[in-house]
Amino acid sequence: MIGAHLPALQVVVPLIAAPVCVLLRRPRLAWGLATLINWICFGVATALLARVLTEGSISYPLGGWAAPWGIEYRVDVVNAFVLVIVAGVSALVVLFARASVEKEIPAERIYLFYTLWLLCVTGLLGMAVTGDAFNLFVFLEISSLSSYALISLGPERRALTAAYRYLVMGTIGATFILIGIGLLYMMTGTLNMMDLARHLPAVAGTRTVIVAFGFLTVGISLKIALFPLHSWLPNAYTYAPSAVSALLAATATKVGVYMLLRFFFTIVGPYFSFEVMAEGGLLIAIALLATVFGSVVAIFQDNIKSMLAYSSIAQIGYMVLGISLVSVTGLTAGIVHLFNHALIKAGLFMAVGCLAFRLRAVTLQEIAGIGRYMPWTMAAFVVGGLSLIGVPLTVGFISKWYLVLGALERSWWPVAGIILFTSLLAVVYIWRVVEAAYFRTAPNRGHPTRFQEAPWSMLVPTWVVILANVYFGISPSFPIDIAQRAAQALLSPLP
Amino acid sequence: MNQPPQHFFDKPENTTKVLWIFHVLCVGLLVIDVFYHRHTMHAWEDLWGFYAFYGFVACVMLVLVAKQLRKLVMVGERYYSDG
Amino acid sequence: MDSLPPYAIFLIGALFIPAIGGRLRRVALLLIPLLSGANVINLEQGDDWQLLFLDYELIPVRVDELSLLFGYLFHLAALIAVIFSLHVRDTTQHVAGLVYAGSALGAVFAGDFITLFIFWELMAVSSAFLILSRRTDRATAAGLRYLLIQVLSGVMLLAGAVMRVQETGTLAFEFIGIGSSGGLLIFLAFGIKCAFPLAHNWLTDAYPEATPTGAVFLSAFTTKVAVYALARGFPGTEALIYIGAVMTCFPIFYAVIENDLRRVLAYSMINQIGFMVCGIGIGTALAVNGAVAHAFNDVLFKGLLMMSMGAVLHMTGRINGSELGGLYKSMPMTAGLCIVGAASISAFPLFSGFVSKSMIMVAVLQEGHPGVWLALLFASAGVFHHAGIKIPFFAFFAHDAGLRTSEPPNNMLLAMWIAGALCVFIGIYPWMLYELLPFEVVYTPYDATHVIAQLQLLFFSALAFTWLKLTNLYPPELRSVNLDAEWIYRKVLPDAVRGISRASVPLASALSDGVRGQMLVLGQTMYRHFGPQSTLVRTWLSARMVLWVAGLLGFYLFFYYS
Repeated sequence: MIGAHLPALQVVVPLIAAPVCVLLRRPRLAWGLATLINWICFGVATALLARVLTEGSISYPLGGWAAPWGIEYRVDVVNAFVLVIVAGVSALVVLFARASVEKEIPAERIYLFYTLWLLCVTGLLGMAVTGDAFNLFVFLEISSLSSYALISLGPERRALTAAYRYLVMGTIGATFILIGIGLLYMMTGTLNMMDLARHLPAVAGTRTVIVAFGFLTVGISLKIALFPLHSWLPNAYTYAPSAVSALLAATATKVGVYMLLRFFFTIVGPYFSFEVMAEGGLLIAIALLATVFGSVVAIFQDNIKSMLAYSSIAQIGYMVLGISLVSVTGLTAGIVHLFNHALIKAGLFMAVGCLAFRLRAVTLQEIAGIGRYMPWTMAAFVVGGLSLIGVPLTVGFISKWYLVLGALERSWWPVAGIILFTSLLAVVYIWRVVEAAYFRTAPNRGHPTRFQEAPWSMLVPTWVVILANVYFGISPSFPIDIAQRAAQALLSPLP
Repeated sequence: MNQPPQHFFDKPENTTKVLWIFHVLCVGLLVIDVFYHRHTMHAWEDLWGFYAFYGFVACVMLVLVAKQLRKLVMVGERYYSDG
Repeated sequence: MDSLPPYAIFLIGALFIPAIGGRLRRVALLLIPLLSGANVINLEQGDDWQLLFLDYELIPVRVDELSLLFGYLFHLAALIAVIFSLHVRDTTQHVAGLVYAGSALGAVFAGDFITLFIFWELMAVSSAFLILSRRTDRATAAGLRYLLIQVLSGVMLLAGAVMRVQETGTLAFEFIGIGSSGGLLIFLAFGIKCAFPLAHNWLTDAYPEATPTGAVFLSAFTTKVAVYALARGFPGTEALIYIGAVMTCFPIFYAVIENDLRRVLAYSMINQIGFMVCGIGIGTALAVNGAVAHAFNDVLFKGLLMMSMGAVLHMTGRINGSELGGLYKSMPMTAGLCIVGAASISAFPLFSGFVSKSMIMVAVLQEGHPGVWLALLFASAGVFHHAGIKIPFFAFFAHDAGLRTSEPPNNMLLAMWIAGALCVFIGIYPWMLYELLPFEVVYTPYDATHVIAQLQLLFFSALAFTWLKLTNLYPPELRSVNLDAEWIYRKVLPDAVRGISRASVPLASALSDGVRGQMLVLGQTMYRHFGPQSTLVRTWLSARMVLWVAGLLGFYLFFYYS
């Protein structure tokens, strides 16, 4: 019976496929396998979500060893949703990747690229699916190590230094998380998340738990690039291969935010993390700083990829802001923004990837007048940009709406004001791209035939994601329902 | 070169004629006010030639004030662009 | 409901226009407003659309008397503007015009704030293209300023709507009132679009920079949607009476000394909107009827005037009063039609302005605001003075500037003929318009009292003009810029920012011994703080990043312990 083993398959399938990919060596074959595996993962994730929605949480003891001694995979609404986001984005981006990767990476390394891709996806899915704190660390390392390597494959030499920086910071972050988990283990003698949650209240006030919590907060903040620990992110996203930027921007930080949710709400518990520790006020301040900082800096970037990267820092601020409101509306906003931002940033980075396919660099100077040559790409960018701004009929609006409502529920007017203000900043930086692409005349291009639309194999996945932005903006009930259920589940005390 | 066609206001006497007709009409409208009693809603309206005088005074005021306004607000054409 | 939403045909049509060219495109451009008009005529009151979005009931289409009246009006305006711009070969302008008209329709049929907001912003963006399409640096700058202010209005509308949801739990766009903070914010959002005093400058800044045909579209929709929104949300709000009175009076002073004739029209547009705002503020059946009817007429006569000036600009390339004159010789038909528009805006009996403006005047007096009434009367005399006389006089008569041209293309003439004919028709037979008004009309415009009073007012205003002109007291047309509220955001603020950054440079270099360049402009200052090379953004050394991590950990631990 395959159905019962879905949680394990979610991780095992891409994990086994990775070495197979090394054996294949031929670029197209490797791509084909990666695509197949990614779509299988997506299927598994959807099936898991469907089951969780109808039957409730699934607990899967790995290898038959029951929790808390064995490793338990535990799927509830929250992580099933994250699984679908990660697997879905990855499945679409890998379609996009074929042409893009062939252009940006030497043919003899392409099979390695897809191997790393599969490992990265394995890690991300594993982090989401597991119910064991140490297992989570292991998958975190798998995804991190493979993403360092993926970034270093970027076409420019600066990709190497960017990857190296990310490696240093990522390792520190992971170590902090490991120390945090270790300290918790010291106090409770268990690594199973549910078990941890049951045992922690007894030792809640102790110094060790407080230190553990501090290490976890900083470690996770590093992994999700929360201001002021964001500095590894812009270069990593800017110099990574286009497909990798799209994948990581849409999924890696999302899984990081999921980690935050799990530790703060499920394990430590909202009461402890936000009221005893006064975490809420601090996190809100940091989140607001992140939104303002990211948006302002994005305005001054000439490289579109780093503009989007800084915008990501702002968007992570929105997610953390929603979460730190600690209300159903706020959490709904945060969780639905996981989904929405994945769609927005995947779409935008894919559109930029299409530009990169034809241009030497994706800077504002280079894209002058490109709207005429690449109408579909730029149209996709504009729609994605509208969604990023938060225009109605796009998913971005849904997120902002719930965020503002959540802030107003608490009568935090300035917070609502800052959300609107940063949306205006988003108008400015998106407009700079639009202005350059449509209203500036193209410099003498030399060979006009060189500048044509990106291949359809890249455009179609891009547009699928962009149209999803519109579809879920018009009928948002699917992600909203799930996010609401997830928010309620996270806020309700443990059974 | 043939003579450019003559237009109506090219002849000064035509302008004078138009102004004459106009002035006669103005006087006529004032005279009507003596005979015809307008039904009114406010006491001011009952004054003889109220609308006529108000219109005249209003417009003269408007122009004279606007001329003074120029001293206050008028700047060179490249005021903003020179920044 | 078996008909399409009122805006659908315009928006769908706009999608297909780029794909077709030549004669076919012109046919399509004409067909779009006609088909859409047929669709709207079939709409009946109560043909509402409803849908559930998030947890709220939205009404994307609400059909009642008020929205239908504006629906008909906008179709008329769109048809005229499309005909007027038929010769244009710029795809951007055609698409922008159609989207703009469609979104204006969407806005007046919107029954909830979300739909209203969507169309509000779509109007802002699409109309900005009509200005940007002039493709001069001046127009681009003005267009971007315009866009910024319009988008700001939209954001305020949305913020107000969210606050209203908190207050009332509904998103329905019904009577709002300024009693609550959400209501006040929405009021201000409408006010920006409606060109309230001090928030008016976007209009006089941007409209004269639009393309000759674009200005015709612009003059029809944006402000009228705002008038509609005020009539829907804030009838009987007393503040509007005084706001409206100020709006009627102050622009006419500017109009007298302004040289750019399209800017004169822009000022006179604020003056006309003032009458409508005043009527909405009075809020009685007669006053609201008058306001709405005046909006209807204003679209036609202001459109006609804008078209005649657009035709002049199109044919001569000039629009300053100081450079024009004597054009009646080569453009007699345009001159005649311009005079029809001038007579209508001045509310001459038998022209359309007369039958609607007098309703507002009577209502103001009925409700006991004699002071406001005097102000409106002053403005009525003034509007004749600057729009009724100044526009045709300086463009077509005055001294002959020696320009020899010909009548504009036939499509432009046809559009002006349609608008002119409607101005006269409504002036002679106003009852068809009265039928459409939201309240029953028991008003007769044509009795001897009204006619005589109005003629006296207008003739003696004209007498004042001739007297001032003959005695050379009349201010000459001069090439200049007249400072207005925009001075604050185009001069004072930028100068202040420059001043501060200039002052801060010596201070900063005194404080640190590092060498700093002279950062004189705001952009550079910002770039310094947030650009790629700034302290916060420049790629950090790993050691520095790690230091931050350690610092933050310490901070958290301290925070948790305390």
